[in-house]
Amino acid sequence: MTSNRPSLPTPGSTGSDLSSSTSSNNSDNNQIPNLHSLQNSSSQLSIKSNSWRASVNFGSKGVSVADSEGFSISRREINEDDARLVYVNDPLKTNETFEFCGNSIRTGKYSVFTFLPRNLFEQFHRVAYMYFLIIAILNQLPQLAVFGRGASILPLASVLFVTAVKDAYEDWRRHKADKIENNRLSSVLVNDQFQHKRSKDIQVGEIVKVSADETIPCDIVVLCTSDPTGVAYVQTINLDGESNLKTRYAKQETLSRVPGKDVISGLIKCEKPNRNIYGFQANMEVDGKRVSLGPSNIILRGCVIKNTDWAVGVAVYAGRETKAMLNNSGAPSKRSRLETHMNREIILLSFFLVTLCIIVSACAGFWLRRHQDELDIMPFYRRKDYSKEQVENYNYYGLGMEIFFSFLMSVIVFQIMIPISLYISMELVRVGQAYFMIRDDKMFDAASNTRFQCRALNINEDLGQIKYVFSDKTGTLTENKMEFQFASISGVDYSGEKIEFYGEQGGYNIQVDGQVWRPKMKVQVDSKLLKLSKTRNDTKSSKEIYDFFLALAACNTIVPIVVNTSNPNEKLIDYQGESPDEQALVYAAAAYGFMLIERTSGHIVIDIQGERQRFNVLGMHEFDSDRKRMSVILGYPDSTVKVFVKGADTTMFKVIDESLNLSVVKSTENHLHSYSSIGLRTLVVGMRALSIAEFDTWQTSYEIASTALMGRAGLLRKVAVNIENNLSLLGASAIEDRLQKGVPEAIESLRKAGIKVWVLTGDKQETAISIGYSSKLLTSKMMQIIINNNSKMSCKKSLEDALVTSRKLINVTRASEDDASSVALIIDGTSLVYILDSELEEQLFELASKCAVVLCCRVAPLQKAGIVALIKNRTDDMTLAIGDGANDVSMIQMADVGVGISGQEGRQAVMASDFAMGQFRFLVPLMLVHGHWNYQRMAYMILYNFYRNALFVFILFWYVLYTGFTLTTSITEWSSVLYSVIYTAIPTIVVGILDKDLSRKSLMTYPQLYGSGQRKESYNAKLFWVTMVDTLWQSVVVFFIPLLAFWESDIDSSSLGDLWTLAVVFIVNIHLAMDVIRWTWISHASIWGSIIATCICVIIIDAIPALPGYWAIFNLASSGLFWICLLGILIASMIPRFIVKMFMQHCKPCDRQIAREAEKFQNAMEITRNGEIEMNLPHR
Amino acid sequence: MSNATAPTNSTSTEPMDTSAPARYSKRPKYSRFTQQELPACKPILTPRWVISTFMLVTIVFVPIGIASLFASRDVVEIVDRYDDSCAPSGSRTDKVRFIQSTADKTCNRTLTVPKHMKQPIYVYYQLDNFYQNHRRYVKSRSDQQLRNRNKENDVSTCKPEDTAHGVTIVPCGLVAWSMFNDTFRFSGSNNVQLPVTKRGISWKSDRDHKFGKDVFPKNFQNGSLIGGARLNESIPLSEQEDLIVWMRTAALPTFRKLYGKIEVDLQAGDTINVVMQNNYNTYSFNGKKKLVLSTASWLGGKNNFIGIAYLAVGGLCFVLAIAFTIIYLVKPRRLGDPSYLSWNRNPGGH
Repeated sequence: MTSNRPSLPTPGSTGSDLSSSTSSNNSDNNQIPNLHSLQNSSSQLSIKSNSWRASVNFGSKGVSVADSEGFSISRREINEDDARLVYVNDPLKTNETFEFCGNSIRTGKYSVFTFLPRNLFEQFHRVAYMYFLIIAILNQLPQLAVFGRGASILPLASVLFVTAVKDAYEDWRRHKADKIENNRLSSVLVNDQFQHKRSKDIQVGEIVKVSADETIPCDIVVLCTSDPTGVAYVQTINLDGESNLKTRYAKQETLSRVPGKDVISGLIKCEKPNRNIYGFQANMEVDGKRVSLGPSNIILRGCVIKNTDWAVGVAVYAGRETKAMLNNSGAPSKRSRLETHMNREIILLSFFLVTLCIIVSACAGFWLRRHQDELDIMPFYRRKDYSKEQVENYNYYGLGMEIFFSFLMSVIVFQIMIPISLYISMELVRVGQAYFMIRDDKMFDAASNTRFQCRALNINEDLGQIKYVFSDKTGTLTENKMEFQFASISGVDYSGEKIEFYGEQGGYNIQVDGQVWRPKMKVQVDSKLLKLSKTRNDTKSSKEIYDFFLALAACNTIVPIVVNTSNPNEKLIDYQGESPDEQALVYAAAAYGFMLIERTSGHIVIDIQGERQRFNVLGMHEFDSDRKRMSVILGYPDSTVKVFVKGADTTMFKVIDESLNLSVVKSTENHLHSYSSIGLRTLVVGMRALSIAEFDTWQTSYEIASTALMGRAGLLRKVAVNIENNLSLLGASAIEDRLQKGVPEAIESLRKAGIKVWVLTGDKQETAISIGYSSKLLTSKMMQIIINNNSKMSCKKSLEDALVTSRKLINVTRASEDDASSVALIIDGTSLVYILDSELEEQLFELASKCAVVLCCRVAPLQKAGIVALIKNRTDDMTLAIGDGANDVSMIQMADVGVGISGQEGRQAVMASDFAMGQFRFLVPLMLVHGHWNYQRMAYMILYNFYRNALFVFILFWYVLYTGFTLTTSITEWSSVLYSVIYTAIPTIVVGILDKDLSRKSLMTYPQLYGSGQRKESYNAKLFWVTMVDTLWQSVVVFFIPLLAFWESDIDSSSLGDLWTLAVVFIVNIHLAMDVIRWTWISHASIWGSIIATCICVIIIDAIPALPGYWAIFNLASSGLFWICLLGILIASMIPRFIVKMFMQHCKPCDRQIAREAEKFQNAMEITRNGEIEMNLPHR
Repeated sequence: MSNATAPTNSTSTEPMDTSAPARYSKRPKYSRFTQQELPACKPILTPRWVISTFMLVTIVFVPIGIASLFASRDVVEIVDRYDDSCAPSGSRTDKVRFIQSTADKTCNRTLTVPKHMKQPIYVYYQLDNFYQNHRRYVKSRSDQQLRNRNKENDVSTCKPEDTAHGVTIVPCGLVAWSMFNDTFRFSGSNNVQLPVTKRGISWKSDRDHKFGKDVFPKNFQNGSLIGGARLNESIPLSEQEDLIVWMRTAALPTFRKLYGKIEVDLQAGDTINVVMQNNYNTYSFNGKKKLVLSTASWLGGKNNFIGIAYLAVGGLCFVLAIAFTIIYLVKPRRLGDPSYLSWNRNPGGH
């Protein structure tokens, strides 16, 4: 259990080939620690910052991962056809035959010239925009001119303009980022001298020099570094989100040549660009020798060189062909589920529209045909124009054309059946919703001082319909800060009181040359154990404690780095290493007085209670996933030799000699159980003294194994297994990867809300499971199905078995009505390799959908996306992915909603996400509160907009039936245009932004209320049809009450038009008012304001003498019938709706309705809630 | 938006948590508005509210409905369709030929007053099947020309009645061209003339602002096809009230237009002789012509619809109020009772 996040999981079958080839090749430059030479080296104590680098060359993870025993082919040939040939230091020749891509990158979508056409092109991808463009064009034809020119174009033009400005701004930001990236200077070898060159000018084949803390401009194969052994340390935070250092090597053949002095030439044959950031396969011909290159020889674009003065490499992939860019699968523009459904309904609406138009044009045709003899002189038609010499038809093109024209004209008149204003309103509403989400101080993270970020503006409402949450683990669920918690030393549990070493003198420290050195991180220590560790006597327990902490300090691959602080007399020791667990252990050892201060490949220096001791590291057996342990062979100053082993309890107890002290083993096992049951990560430490004979045997075989060219890893493993046995148990440690605050509660809430939480992590299985427990994802009642296979056949089998068991179990639970016992699926990345993209996917999906919890461990970034796709492609359910590292980017982009945690690990996840926030627990207010609100609001708004526009169209349609089907509108042209712009636009937007169906408190108390969004309760086909029927009824009332009341009267068309205008605006606003749940002053202002604004507009329009309807409204308002009609319309149109609503509320109340009532009538609720645990109300 | 390598500057320079406490907090400023906690009224329709709403509607609607019905009943209306009787019987073509001929079109009708009619008695002509709201028709006018002498040539919208013999027509367009030109003269039972006031039959606003005081008819009805009335070219448009009334195009294909007012009371049983000139051609399109004499109530003319509608709605609401009362009594539900929540109703089954 020494490594935390594997740096090189094997994502595919090629991966395992690769790592085995690397392992055998690394033997070239892995210097074998030589006992004698180490003993001769001077025992210098002063620590130079670089001294530890000398030969720390055992840290390559590539060696340890998935090295299959029987794999003996060390060099796999790269197929000549697929190879990319790179001539080192000869970019001209390299690029001669194949045009390799340059190093400039481009993420912006548009350029200055392409902006207008491309942006318009993209905007018109929205069918609705296209439709309105066509309508606007049609209206320009003189035969069809229904509306004035301005009136017809204005709405579309404004929408296009607003969107274009928004897009231009976004693209400008992308361009700016590209420019910075492309113009970054890097040092490139030109004519045997390093010169500064802009990043975008780097070509494949050129030699690039990178200095410490610089970002790598393209993918380079390391040739040599400042380190004589050719080691370079890189940080891959931008690539995979891991913040610790990784080692990369230059090949022995090249590391001695210093570019600029020696000639470097050669030919690298490497695979075609691919997106596998953990794999690289190539070979290099240098000086006629052929050496193979693996993933440990390449440094990828975006990595940062750390603790290495410089590194020189040859560019092999550049620009968009780099692995970083290839992994950066372009963000597909997301469209919210609601909008997709809305578009479906819009298609329905367009069928309505076409139907109406066909009715009108057919009737018009019949009418013309019936009257065709009379048309010539009919006073209101007058087909013939007699004003000219020659009497000819005026504006008449034959029956067929007239029918066609009336079809087109009716499309123009009824165009708002398809609500274009809805698109603008939705964008405005989303901006408003985003404003409130950003301002929500319950989603403000004080620790990192970050607000919630709303990066995508078109999927707010999706947050209310999520069914699956895919979460990264490290940094998302946890803080990614390992902390040593408890220790059990020879059967004694030290998990007592903790002292915090903050303040006073700040924990353990040592004096070096008058300076105070202290560990960078402070650890809480157990007071009893601290006292015991300080007392040094020869009692057994004291010795055991000594050995335990010595093991913690020594048995690892941690490198201490001394960091200056602002105080010149104080320095901090920063423990750098790939495994945060090891870091935590070393920090813990330091806190108890065993401070590791120097490490070279041959020795370590540990300050033990103020006394500096030097141990020779005679050998080290790396962690591997089979043994699940690592060991180090230490030569004591008194030349005794001991082997220290630490590892997972499962494998450690097999190699511990239980006969030595059975009771200690038993009690340690108990302690381990209690530690892991509270979600701690446990490690067992053991040790054995080696006799000289034993040591000699080991050393010989170790040397043979480590110099072997083939199957080195297997041999080394055998050596390790031989020495790691008959250990005496020292103790066990418990480390906590601290969960972020509120994670278990958040997961509990999400679970209650009916959301399935899946954890996808690069971590190993044990860690994932332990976090699963501590975050309450897994409970002890759950049955765990673990799938952990190496071949397709075995995967298939275990999937089938698992399906059978899960079915059985589900049947059992159904029978027993026991909710708690359910199935948890734990699956690892290797199995996923065989399952994803094969026919087994279906089975996995079936299994996973039966499971309450799914944990995927050791998954590669693209596999994360694959798992999300597994759900997304097969169900209609919404998915949300949350993560913090660059390895989550693909998943975040794949999911319907991507959430980035703006934590410690770079900004990649945030950049790719739709929403970003500081803490995992904010997911609860985000989804349960804001998501719920947004969904309800948006769903209502869409339905309302359909209703509002259809109502108007129906009224126009009814009138057309009384005009000889000639598409006259009695409602003035301006009122038609202003209807969806002024008369009714504001209230729906205000309600869409501000209305809350339930208070935050209720939503948090009853997470189940979230289900309404998942069940699509607020927007579905049934509601759509009900709304349309209601619309039809209302239109009949609005149209026919005035029609019949004014039948056979001297009413003029403008007056009746005004009555209809006012009536429709009144009922549309009253309709909204009936559905508003929270009446704030803003809702009052907007709804009543709209009605007043409409009256004002109608008055203004009727005060223009040039319009035919001059003064109509004043004449109308003076008649009693007008007011009586208006009142009658308001009441009669609302009655059916009111009845249905009341009936449903009383007899079939939905959860939201009950919760709303409960809010209002608090008393009833208080009584029942007593005793219920007040949960996850976020404190402020 | 996803730029793999772009934010390197941020990762390398960004101070991590090692930095001193943030100089300024980005914590959103607390306000009730930004936290969406504005004071609000959350009305919930309780049974009491629902029933009282229905009762209120009943209480308001039934009296209005009754009042409307009474008002409508009090209106006395005489309708006389004369287009058939004032033209020679026969086929439609005969009638069209007759109406287009120059023959004398005088026609006598006798009407009987059924009930006492209080003055003012409105005289309407009613046209059926005349689409004054036809698209071709309503557009064929120039409101600019009507009110402004200088816009006389603003006739582009008036086709096909924009010019005659190359000279612009004032008032142009089909609407003006097709002006109604039947005339009516009324006399009482003892041959006493019943004067018809034609002043004030149009809207004052139209006379004052819509029709110019200095705009005179010109070149009107000079084309080869005569549509209807001729206008006195010496009277400005603002005083041509028949034209003003006609130009207010009707909303529906069946419409009445005010012809004039008789400002004397008529007794029940009185007979009225009408001498009319049956000039207007509705025969060519099967239109009907009616003469209507009607008194007016506060609600306008005779129309029972609104009264019936109000009574119906009022009655329905009464029934609903009763129905909901029964529902609430038979199947009561405690408002906001959490035991009705779906996950409480069937535990474990969500």
